[in-house]
Amino acid sequence: MTERQELFAALSRAVLDGDDAAAPRLAAQALDGGVSALDAVEKALVPAIREAGRLFEEGEYFLPELVTAAQAMKAAMAVLQQALGAEAAALALGRVVIGTVEGDIHDIGKTLVGTLLSAAGFAVSDEGASVSVARFVARARELDADLVCASALLTTTMPKQRELVEAVRAAGLRAKVMVGGAPVSPRWAASIGADGHADNALAAVTVARSLVGRDAPS
Amino acid sequence: MRPPELRALLDRRVVLLDGGMGSMLIAAGLEAGRAPEWWNLEHPGRIEAVHRAYVEAGSDVVHTNTFGGSPLRLAAGGLAGRCREVAARAVEVARAGCAGHALVAGDIGPSGHLLPPVGTATLDELADGFAEQAGALAEAGVDLISIETMSDLREALAALAAARATGLAVIAMMTFERRRRGTFTVMGDPLVPSLAALAGAGADAVGCNCSVAADDMLAMVEEAAAASTVPLAAQPNAGSPRLTAGGVAYDADPAAFARALVAMAAAGARLVGGCCGTTPDFIRAARTALDAGVPR
Repeated sequence: MTERQELFAALSRAVLDGDDAAAPRLAAQALDGGVSALDAVEKALVPAIREAGRLFEEGEYFLPELVTAAQAMKAAMAVLQQALGAEAAALALGRVVIGTVEGDIHDIGKTLVGTLLSAAGFAVSDEGASVSVARFVARARELDADLVCASALLTTTMPKQRELVEAVRAAGLRAKVMVGGAPVSPRWAASIGADGHADNALAAVTVARSLVGRDAPS
Repeated sequence: MRPPELRALLDRRVVLLDGGMGSMLIAAGLEAGRAPEWWNLEHPGRIEAVHRAYVEAGSDVVHTNTFGGSPLRLAAGGLAGRCREVAARAVEVARAGCAGHALVAGDIGPSGHLLPPVGTATLDELADGFAEQAGALAEAGVDLISIETMSDLREALAALAAARATGLAVIAMMTFERRRRGTFTVMGDPLVPSLAALAGAGADAVGCNCSVAADDMLAMVEEAAAASTVPLAAQPNAGSPRLTAGGVAYDADPAAFARALVAMAAAGARLVGGCCGTTPDFIRAARTALDAGVPR
């Protein structure tokens, strides 16, 4: 393993361990050693948060582990973005408006997706739970959002996702709409015309990146 | 009604709880983003009507409209400092709706504030809030306290301690998901040890609610029943959606739900009911099915 690979491995490990002191320190060390910020993100941080998400899906990690991993990633991202000029702009993946649809007060899943998107480099505006379609649209317009993400945890509130897709289109916004939540299937997402769907928080990051045309190297 | 009376009811038969409150209020016009607890003050008649519908459908126990009635959560909904008032009105309308035909359980849900490392709340502030809410519910005259939808065992135990301090009977429920390695809360608390901890801390009944529909809930009951030293409670959500040629159909069929509750009772659950999306139709079907007999 080269020195650079070792550094990336250590940075990945720090994220997986949720070590928000070591992660920014190692990110700074990488920059000092001449590593490009984008390289550090794509080769250390993104694989690490992806692994954390996989461990979450496997039932190995739970919310505390996943959230501390995201926090460590965010701390490292802050160092990388701060240290760079031109490349920093390239790191900002896009603006996201996220919330749970009207009538639905379940918010852990949505918060988790927001945290991971933010850790991955999106600027995230979390509108909370039971967010009206009108508010989603107003916020997306105000922020010139790239993505609107709507969670629904109940079969009775899923139809609001359809209303949201229709309202975003009717308002002429450029934002793409992603939907998720325990009862939401890919077929439902397709049937309501959503641009993307993810069935877990990690997949949401991958889908979001592809929707803004910023696929991570796999 | 004091603890022995809940136990007497449990000795007689499987206790039928009520179904969803929030989803009923949304159907009745609760505005998006509005805390359901507002309606105890603004539209007490509508809350009373929901309780009455559940009691008429056959519920033995109804939950007050105070799921979000802890001081921290009320503050987030624009009801800061009104915990006592909200609890008093909620219990009053529950009593009126029951008209003596069912027990009134004071509902305590999560504070909405998460403990580290996910959030920044402290156990002390959660405990203080639950003490205020449980005290207010007890003072307003509930028959028992029911703790629901907890995903962090630490918070559940804090709520349980506060509820126990009132001297009332307490049902303590947490919300679990089935993961590849077993059944856990989203925070990682495993099903059987968590329920054992709640029983060990003095809960009169322990169990699971929300997050899953009846099929997964039945599996949880089967897993927990053998290990449980106190009566087991289960309140699944209404069913999952299915895509059909004509659009989305919901497997939220009251008859199927009722069969699932009977299966839970046969598997060892002693208190059953519904959570999000369930209605008096579900409870009526469950009453009929339970009265027809639980296979042994």
